[in-house]
Formats: sequence, structure tokens, C-alpha cells
Amino acid sequence: MAFAYRMRRVNLDRIETVLAVVVIIGVLALLGRILLGDRGLDVNYMQGIAGVFLQAAVLSVYITSLSFAIGIGIGFLVGWLRSMRTVPVGHLVRDFRIAAKEESGSAATRNILFSLTLVWSGFKHAVRRIMDGYVELMRGTPLFVQIFFVWSVLLVYFTNIPQRDFIAVLVAMTINTGGYQGEIFRGGLQTVHSGQVEAARALGLSRWGAMRYVVLPQALRLITPPLTNEYIGLLKASSLAFYFGVRELTYYTKQEAFSGRNFEAFVLASVLYLAITFTLAKIVQRVETRYRIPGLGIQAALTRGVRRTRM
Amino acid sequence: MLRGVSLDVARGEVVVVVGPSGSGKSTLLRCINLLVEPDEGRVFIDGVHVNTPAIRPEWVRQQVGMVFQSFNLFTHLTALQNVTVGLIRVKDESKDAAEAKGKELLARVGLAAKENAYPAELSGGQQQRVAIARALAMDPKAILFDEPTSALDPEYIREVLDVMTTLARDGMTMIVVSHEMGFARSVATRLIFLDEGKIIEEGVPEEVFVHPKHERTRAFVSKILR
Repeated sequence: MAFAYRMRRVNLDRIETVLAVVVIIGVLALLGRILLGDRGLDVNYMQGIAGVFLQAAVLSVYITSLSFAIGIGIGFLVGWLRSMRTVPVGHLVRDFRIAAKEESGSAATRNILFSLTLVWSGFKHAVRRIMDGYVELMRGTPLFVQIFFVWSVLLVYFTNIPQRDFIAVLVAMTINTGGYQGEIFRGGLQTVHSGQVEAARALGLSRWGAMRYVVLPQALRLITPPLTNEYIGLLKASSLAFYFGVRELTYYTKQEAFSGRNFEAFVLASVLYLAITFTLAKIVQRVETRYRIPGLGIQAALTRGVRRTRM
Repeated sequence: MLRGVSLDVARGEVVVVVGPSGSGKSTLLRCINLLVEPDEGRVFIDGVHVNTPAIRPEWVRQQVGMVFQSFNLFTHLTALQNVTVGLIRVKDESKDAAEAKGKELLARVGLAAKENAYPAELSGGQQQRVAIARALAMDPKAILFDEPTSALDPEYIREVLDVMTTLARDGMTMIVVSHEMGFARSVATRLIFLDEGKIIEEGVPEEVFVHPKHERTRAFVSKILR
């Protein structure tokens, strides 16, 4: 019974996929027909530019992956700092008043303790506010403006560094995705139940140990989908690099488009971008299945003996 | 909040702490393994003054295990990995040695067959028994139980209490916050009634139950024995 059901499910999925592909190709063909008339796609021409386009696509993936990877480090740190709990100053003052009223400890100890806690807590608040500001700045301003800013700073103050345009785009994309990932990580880390940390600490793990062995493995499983999303978004955003002379995929597309073969160039570029994101999605899907754990994350419904209804 | 609580637990003792909610029972336990830093007062474990800057809280927590009301098993680890993670990551034991010990402990709590199950695949009672094995793995000098059966469905309470009773008979030092009066009667060497952060009454369970001296104890006992 369950087996038969599974067979039907798989077949339906296949049919749906095939149908979708047929529809998309049909629409594109129709569009091409309208735009190109009887000329059709110049396949020879496309073969000619394919090599250069492929190389350019590799550069697109390279710049995206590099900034994404560094962004993971930034995002984790920012997310961790932002997810740390801070005690409102009002509570500290209240506790201090209670302690003073009940005359627990000497007045000197009380005052010193209170001052230290106040300074430390103020410091944590400040760090958190700065991190919040960083994330808001990265989310709230266009990436294009950010790249322009970094690019102009390098232009004025770092005239001698090699590949300045490439570095400018890379740095801007890195701090941008770092901000976005900071938000993703904050959400992931905060979703892990506080009891998990308490149990880890009670076992004798350090603060970092609890993060490394308990919180992070769970949080990473939870944030894999938004992180994948972020990578795909970043890959597409990397097309902005063409404006700064970085010879990635869009750079050549634009160049070829001016030669009058815009349809060929755009089709080829789109196919390459699609191929990258599609491959990534497939890889992530495999990784997710490989590391899936019952009762954790989006696949929670898929425990042994329970069929998913519709994904 | 605790006010002037003085508690001395001898090796092998089983102390059961009762009291209305908000009376400071959980805080008392958490002060012992420093999950809550006491504002003042001193905590000694095996004669060592532990709540000083000179002692790492991580060291203290290795000496005293803890079992939680909501189990808090690590969701991403199997039953066996839950038991061995402390041995491998805190005590730096080899994976093989840790697994051998982990399997032995799982067998001891009656879950040898479940070593590869994830917490979500276990019943509440099974999860809590894994949690006890996890605490035992660190060879603690004592184990703190924070309402270990309150989150359990009635049919699973027995199996957890049985494991705890065996532990107590084997000489483990235990401090148990629990309103399981049957367990307190048959196992506890001492019963403590906590209210508003103070120890109101303490003594042999039978004494406190049958002849509570204090008015508040009497009111509380009559409520939970009903």
C-alpha cells in the first residue's frame, strides 16, 4: 500500500517536471520566433562564444563562492553576537536596589559589583547595537551603491593594489553577504532551544564547546535553505561586477549583445546561470538528505513510517 | 531567589526537595553546579570551595551531573552519541572507549536496543533514561534531578523512577526536586521543604509527611498527598 503510493507520487513528480520544462521551452521558442522571425538561433555563433562564456561563468562562481565563504565567518560571528542575551539596565538597577535594601554583602562590594556589571552589560549592548546597525546598513542600501563606495575608496586611497576592481567587488560583496548571513545565523542560533545550551553547559562543555558541538550542528541544519537562497541571490548579484570591468559572465553577455546577437548571448548566459543554480540546488538537496535528522528542521514531518503529503 | 539556605549532603545521601513553584528549588540545584552564579554564600563539593574565580565552572559541572525536567537531549545526536559526547568532548576520551562505556550505560538504563535512535524517535520515559545515562557517563560525584518526571506521561513515570531507585541503592549521591511522594518515601534519606527561598522544614520523609511541624509544610503536604 505504502509502496504503491510512493510509486504514484514519484511518477506524478516526474510528469510535473517534464510538463514544466515543456511549457518553458515552448514559451521561449515562441518568444524567439517573435523576436527573431525566421532567422532562428545562430547555433554556430553560440558555439563560438561558449568557451569564453564558460570561463566567465567560472569567474562568476569564483567571486560568489569566495565572498560567500568569508561571509559565512562574518555571518556566524555577527549572528552569535546578536543572539547573545543581554540584561536590561533597569533589571540591574533593580537588583542593586534590592541588594542594598537587604544589606547583603558590604556596601563597597555591592558598588564594585554593580559598576562592573553595568560596564560589561553596557559593552555587550553597544556591540549588539553596532552589529544590528551593520546588518541594517547592508540590507537597507543597494549592493550596487556599496560596491561603488568600496570601489571609490580603493580608487582614492589604494591606488597601487593589483586587480583593484576585482578586489573592490569582492570586498563589497563579502561585507554585504556577511550582513545578510548575520541575520540568517541569528535566526538559526536563536531557534535552537535554550535547554540544549543548558544541558551542554551542565555536562561541562565550555561556552564555545556548547556552540561548536551542540548549537551549531543544529542551527546549520535549520539555516541550510536560507543560506542556499543567499548564495543564489549573491551569484545573481555578482552580475553587477560587469560595471566595474570584472570579466565575469554578464560582462561578456553585454559585450556580445552589442554585436547584434543579443538573443543568443542572453540565452547562453541564462542557461549558464540556471545550470549553476540548478546544480547547487541538487547538491544541497543531497547534503540535506544525507544529514537529515528526525525531529530537527524542515523535514520534521518525514520521520520513519510517515509519508510526506506534499512538498 | 534563595535566602540563607544551608544544606549539607553527605556521600550516598538521597535528598528530595519539595516546595511550591517559585520557592527556589530549581535555583538551589542550579547554584550547586553553578548554572546560576550565587550572589553570595559558598558552595563546597567534596570539601572544595567551588564558587570562586579560581575554579572553572566547567570543572564543577563535571563533578555534578544534572537531569532536566524537559530531558534536553541533544536533538541532533543519537542516544549513544548523547551519552558519549561529554566523554569525547569534555574528558578527551577516545571514541572507542567512550562508546564501550556508553553502550554499557544504555544497557544499565534498559535501552541497549535504542543506541542508534534519535531523541525524536524515543518516548519521554526513554529520553529521560538516556539523559540519566548521559549524566552518569561523566562519573559524577552526585547527580541533580530537576523534576525528572513532571513532563512525563503517567505511563512512563514508573520506568524513570525505577532507574533512579536503582541508582540510589547503588550508592549514588542524589539531590532530587520532585513531588513523587512514593519515591521520596521509599528512597530518600532526607526530605526538605523549601518555601520563599528558605528551608522551612527538613527531616526523614516519613516524619515530615506524617508529622509536619510547620504550618506551611502541613498545608503543602496535605495538598500534594491528596
